[in-house]
Amino acid sequence: MKRDKSQEPQLPVLSQAVLEQERKMLLDLGNDITRVRDKNDLLVLFSKRLKRYFYFTHTIVTLIDEKSGTYTPFLLDNESSPIRKHPMYPELIQAHFRLNEPFIQTVLQADGPISFLLEDIMEQPESPVFLKVNYEKGVREILMTKIMMEDKPMGFIHMYTDKPGSFTNEFRSVINGIIPQLSGAVSNIIKNEEIHKTEREKSFLLDFSNEIAQVRSKTDLQAAIFKVLDKTMGTKLAMIRLLDDDEVHLSMFMCDPTLFGGTKATFEKMSGTRITVEEPYTSKVLASREGLVFNVAEEIRSGNDYAKLWATTGLKNMYSFPLRVGNRNIGTIWLLANKLSKLLLKGICAQISIAIANIQANEKLLAYKKQLEDENDYLKEQIRTIYNFSEIVGNGAAMQEVYRLISLVATSGTTVLVLGETGTGKELIARAIHNASPRKDKLMVKVNCAALPANLIESELFGHERGAFTGATDRHIGKFELANQSTLFLDEIGELPLEAQAKLLRVIQERELERVGGKQTIKVDVRLITATNRQLEEAVRKGQFREDLYYRLNVFPITLPPLRDRPEDIAPLANFFVKKYARNAGRKINQIAPKAMLQLRSYSWPGNVRELEHLIERSVLLSPDGVLKDVYLSSKNVSEQQSPAHLANRSLEEVERSYIIEVLKRCSGKISGIGGAAEILQVPGNTLHSKMKKLGITKADYFTQG
Amino acid sequence: MKIVVIGGSGLIGSKVVAKLSQAGHEVISASPATGINTITGEGLDEALANTDVVVDLANSPSFEDKAVMEFFQTAGRNLLAAEIRAGVKHHLALSIVGVDLMQESGYMRAKKVQEDLIKQSGVPHTIMRSTQFFEFIGGIANQATEGNIVHISDLQFQPIAAEDVATFVTEAALSAPVNGIQEIAGPGRFTMPELITRYLEAATDPRKVEANQNLQYYGAKISYAALVPAGQAKLGAINFDNWLSSQLAKA
Repeated sequence: MKRDKSQEPQLPVLSQAVLEQERKMLLDLGNDITRVRDKNDLLVLFSKRLKRYFYFTHTIVTLIDEKSGTYTPFLLDNESSPIRKHPMYPELIQAHFRLNEPFIQTVLQADGPISFLLEDIMEQPESPVFLKVNYEKGVREILMTKIMMEDKPMGFIHMYTDKPGSFTNEFRSVINGIIPQLSGAVSNIIKNEEIHKTEREKSFLLDFSNEIAQVRSKTDLQAAIFKVLDKTMGTKLAMIRLLDDDEVHLSMFMCDPTLFGGTKATFEKMSGTRITVEEPYTSKVLASREGLVFNVAEEIRSGNDYAKLWATTGLKNMYSFPLRVGNRNIGTIWLLANKLSKLLLKGICAQISIAIANIQANEKLLAYKKQLEDENDYLKEQIRTIYNFSEIVGNGAAMQEVYRLISLVATSGTTVLVLGETGTGKELIARAIHNASPRKDKLMVKVNCAALPANLIESELFGHERGAFTGATDRHIGKFELANQSTLFLDEIGELPLEAQAKLLRVIQERELERVGGKQTIKVDVRLITATNRQLEEAVRKGQFREDLYYRLNVFPITLPPLRDRPEDIAPLANFFVKKYARNAGRKINQIAPKAMLQLRSYSWPGNVRELEHLIERSVLLSPDGVLKDVYLSSKNVSEQQSPAHLANRSLEEVERSYIIEVLKRCSGKISGIGGAAEILQVPGNTLHSKMKKLGITKADYFTQG
Repeated sequence: MKIVVIGGSGLIGSKVVAKLSQAGHEVISASPATGINTITGEGLDEALANTDVVVDLANSPSFEDKAVMEFFQTAGRNLLAAEIRAGVKHHLALSIVGVDLMQESGYMRAKKVQEDLIKQSGVPHTIMRSTQFFEFIGGIANQATEGNIVHISDLQFQPIAAEDVATFVTEAALSAPVNGIQEIAGPGRFTMPELITRYLEAATDPRKVEANQNLQYYGAKISYAALVPAGQAKLGAINFDNWLSSQLAKA
């Protein structure tokens, strides 16, 4: 009914001034819009200016996408659009409308602007839905004009009005006049946007590159990656897996554990398992040149278990990319995003690859450095001790037996247990075994199990990973690893806590270990020598020492005789030490007075060779040049120290008797006078005589061997 | 048909009354002077009895913002209520082109309220929006005069002769209600400074027009094209030159 009235609309005659004004307006608008660089400004400017002279409700610009045969909104005049509140609006401004339908084809074939009453066209089956939506919000007529670029349509300007007849001939001619400028402006904007986009991506990559160049640790890298991906790209890092040294397995290197919220347990299970390069997804990714994109929804349909996890993030695609340094695969990266630019993705992955390679190199470097430092420290420490015990002195029968055993066992890799009282030179024996073994070119590593608190001994032996326990700020290489292909000497093995004993047993059995807090198994080839002054069998009985470990260690025991059992070695030892310490102290002492030697021989040496050494050192320092006349045996020591051999339950009389015999033996039967037994026992000679008589001690007792 | 013309004694009203009477209709020219007062309601019911069409051409006696609003609100309510009581079949009112685009002006706000009252009343209606009458040009010039200069913004301007308005109103009064807006305008479009210059020259007025880009109209800021119709409009037959010569002839 209304349409009957809308025949040819009556048009006013325009005066010269009005024409002039419109011409000027067109010129100004043309000038202004060609200067516009921001897409949002263009249409607002266009719409506002035009509205001063003409009536229309709103306008939009759509662009043709030739590839898909559609057109889609590009510039919106949001301020005045009456359909902005329409529930379909958000969908419409993202939509792609088909070019292959009568309505838009009519527009494409028209020479200039062409108007339609919405009523006439919106119900046609193929018409785009935005016509109807506009009609529902009161719009009645649409004016469509092609935007041309180089003689090809590149889009449309849509103008809408709620007053039919608004699009007068005058209006159309103005629109026609402005189209070349508008086309220019739109193509400027498109080009500008492309330039901006590449620029943004490039500067983004540059920033990322700068940030990543400073990264030296995994934590830094993780922070950098999360920052870049999440904040600037709306992308989530799902996981980075790296190829292990074996080039077959891949281990999780980094992931965002917050990503899969509720399904954390499943994620941990999946990420915790080591996979191989044969795993179908991984092999596909590693084989691809430019990575792969998995559509989450499609993957779920095809039964990919991982995809269910991916879906919890709400992101649409999983982008996976091989991490490469040069042509070498180092791992895979998995990113969740809705859309990622290929250029950007490629750039980022290249940067991350290099950063990871750097970190790996850095970690290796640090490990080598640490190992060198450890070895260096150790060497320095050893230089001091080795210097003290460069030779084993003594040719007595007991020692001959020890030498024989050493020569038997040294060349094999057999575990040796060195037994002997404190100061008998157990370490010296261990060192002699090591030096006579094929492992002699490497350093023997020594650990004193009694010297470390129980809570540190494990980490000392087996090492720890960073963060394994409070205070573990760095990765520590254990002595076992340090002694790889060499000998580890565990002194005072009897003091090893039970927990560490279990671990030690495992290492001996499996020949492999794990660092504290570490998951990686490390193979070691270590020859073990242990030593103790404790009765291990007794400790086993009391439950202080594991029986199984005891048998493992006690494969080849070597027992060192106490010094008091080899008095024949006291003289050579004493001379050896005098020479050594005289040289050290710059003294010219080359022999020991017989009287002093007699004193040394008559002493019981509870501290064995070590005590002798220290005594000589002190005596050398206190003695004038020439002959060492006095030895400074501590008399208190003599009376208080009891040798372990005399600890059995005996009566006072028995103890007294055997002790007097022992002292007499050492004093070669001399009872009184200097170097006599009475002096050592601190009793007058007569008293000793009467005591001997009372206890029935005869010459036969102290002149027999044994 | 019985037709009541409110404001029948005014510039347009008198012409409409004459034209309708000439066409042989029973026309009542209503104004306070004839005992029909839309503000007090006095005489309304009696006048509207058996009336087919009411043509409301009344204007406010005062142009002060508050007074105008009160006038159009009260008159509109009283009149529409009386029409409903009397069963009037067509209410025709004269409004202004661009009234909704010039809401900065108190007068335009009042006219918009009048339009809305009509639309909401349910009475079958035609709202006829007209551009300015040629007859207003002198007044527009006067209110913009400072000394010897007339300050006029370069607005688009498409005035219509009062005679043409009366003709369109008469036609509409005798046609079916459109239940919407009908715009009418003059046959030519000008800029306001252009037309006022021509007017002053023709009247040998010594004042000079100075055009500006301030977009001012009676002190209110409006857009360039607010005063000219958008979309379909009926155009009057009398152009500015014809009107001017007839005016000069009268003078």
